[in-house]
Amino acid sequence: MVIEMELIEKLAILADGAKYDASCSSSGSRRISKNTFGNTSFSGICHSFSSDGRCISLLKILMTNCCMFDCKYCLNRKSNDIKRAIFTPEEVCKITINFYKRNYIEGLFLSSGIIKSPDYTMELMIETIELLRKKYHFGGYIHAKAIPKCSEYLLKKLGFLVDRLSANIELPTDEGLKLLAPNKNSSNVNKIMNYINNNKSKKFVPAGQSTQMIIGATKETDLDVMKKSEFMYNKYKLKRVFYSAYVPVNKDKLLPTIKIPPLTRENRLYQADWLLRFYNFKVEDILDKKNPNFNLLLDPKADWALRNLNEFPKEVNTCSYQDLLKIPGVGIVSAKRIIKSRNLFNITFKDLKKMGIVLKRAKYFLTCNGRYFMDINFFKSSFIEKNLILEDKKNITENIEQLTLFNE
Amino acid sequence: MNKSKSIFLYNYSFLSLLNLIKKLIQNKIVPNDIKNYDYQANLFDNTINLKVPEDEKVINDIINHFGVNILNIMFKVFLSNEQYKELIIYYFWLYSIKYKNKVVYMRNLKVVNKALKISKYVGKEAHRLKGFLRFSELENNVLYAEMAPENNIIIFLSMHFKKRLKNEFWIIKDVKRGILSVYNKKDYFFINENEYKLLTKNVSNEEKNIRNLWKTFYKNISINERKNIRCQMNFMPKKYWQYITEMRDDNEENYK
Repeated sequence: MVIEMELIEKLAILADGAKYDASCSSSGSRRISKNTFGNTSFSGICHSFSSDGRCISLLKILMTNCCMFDCKYCLNRKSNDIKRAIFTPEEVCKITINFYKRNYIEGLFLSSGIIKSPDYTMELMIETIELLRKKYHFGGYIHAKAIPKCSEYLLKKLGFLVDRLSANIELPTDEGLKLLAPNKNSSNVNKIMNYINNNKSKKFVPAGQSTQMIIGATKETDLDVMKKSEFMYNKYKLKRVFYSAYVPVNKDKLLPTIKIPPLTRENRLYQADWLLRFYNFKVEDILDKKNPNFNLLLDPKADWALRNLNEFPKEVNTCSYQDLLKIPGVGIVSAKRIIKSRNLFNITFKDLKKMGIVLKRAKYFLTCNGRYFMDINFFKSSFIEKNLILEDKKNITENIEQLTLFNE
Repeated sequence: MNKSKSIFLYNYSFLSLLNLIKKLIQNKIVPNDIKNYDYQANLFDNTINLKVPEDEKVINDIINHFGVNILNIMFKVFLSNEQYKELIIYYFWLYSIKYKNKVVYMRNLKVVNKALKISKYVGKEAHRLKGFLRFSELENNVLYAEMAPENNIIIFLSMHFKKRLKNEFWIIKDVKRGILSVYNKKDYFFINENEYKLLTKNVSNEEKNIRNLWKTFYKNISINERKNIRCQMNFMPKKYWQYITEMRDDNEENYK
């Protein structure tokens, strides 16, 4: 009974230490169960949602929250006076297997503070995951964090055991890292990303790699953040970049004094990230030196469309697929539907709604058979902007509170 | 004038429904409604039982003429909770004759749009429950889960867990419909709750500890500064909470 008490306390501490990592995705891997216990689902499965509204798909824990590093923003930094714990490999396996069996989780997301040395930490993680794969024949999803400055042969070993491997870049510029994470530098992380990208195969990190940046802990602009993302997507073929609104867990004169994480900004970055990956936008389309930060009142696509109103309105019955994607309120799925359907019949405003287009945004930027949804004289940037913001008013009143606190 | 409504009856199964609809279309009969044998006829109803044989050929007919995608849509509509689902399948079939596999792009047609929406909803609920279903380990090592979904999606879950937990004995119960899916490490079969009695509902010794570990994890993984209950409920609607381990109070745990 005493042992159980210990395990539950460890789990509480090591889940607490892991929760600031935004990634919980379990998609992108086709691990078919032959003689294994469990499999993966290519589309990923969310098993629960915590009270912050984030998906729980994986058992997200740290091997240990002991850490040699002293990154200013991190709960687990060396100088923090908190309870420390370390799992044994068997304990991690026991929890993973029992949770998986009951369908609580899709798999394991193992990260760690850096204990003794990067290689020692990696070896501990590898021992755990190897035990899980080989002794327990676990065939579910495993996402592991690669520890910067570890040896290449350990990276190789770990990569063959997991579905996803990731290293967090944490901050978009070296200046930011120097300030808040003096033990880290981007070249170590780049080295890992480069190695994974060069060796990726069906057996090695099949679900690809991802990374994370903390938003709002340093002075970097959205332009800095997005430029970094674009660079990493192109150079290392990352599956995802996660953006994590800075949560003030530590007091430090180098850290901003905010009470509420910049969630709206985080949301805008995700929206822009989508535009880069799926809508063929480039960073310079949506941000520039004059406007280095996103408009918090409008989503990046609508904001872009208003600044480029000369390209609109688009005629849904004739314009190209690429042009459809540029219309606010039209997504990938609905753009494809429009293309397929308009070969069969002439699309009207009523049909658009049935096809899943968000008409309250899209209607300002398109015509159906040459008709605008109202008097075309109202097709003006100021009028549309005002109305789009009014449509979102409900959300905005909530966000304003956050904004004012954020700017304190 | 004859005001009575002609209501055609089928024998519960998807196959029976498809054969009936095929027959109706061949004979150019437009039904007022199609219902299964449970239907309680009222005074003005004219219920008709054509007793069409359940021929599996109809499945291939649909796949060959319209594509497997159309069959899937029909099947999902059939598993839905929609009051007029049979009639929707009938009209969807008629439009499929006209537009073949392109019928899925004809959202301007009301019935087609409806069928696609229902089908998507059923698929979405099946996907959700692949995540939200919770097994308990019984004292005889059987994994047992209860659920009460809106739609009859037990077949999708059974296919999923047959692959995932292939070396475990498991039972999934749809409490709303009184159906169990029982898996014997080889295959699963469906059985009515009246015809099957669980050997035990007592959970294993470990079960309580594991549930507590899970609840501890669940509580600690949430970031309080980001609390957003509305967002949580959007993704995980309250109607499912009753059967989700981490959303239940300890003192209302069922099947102790």
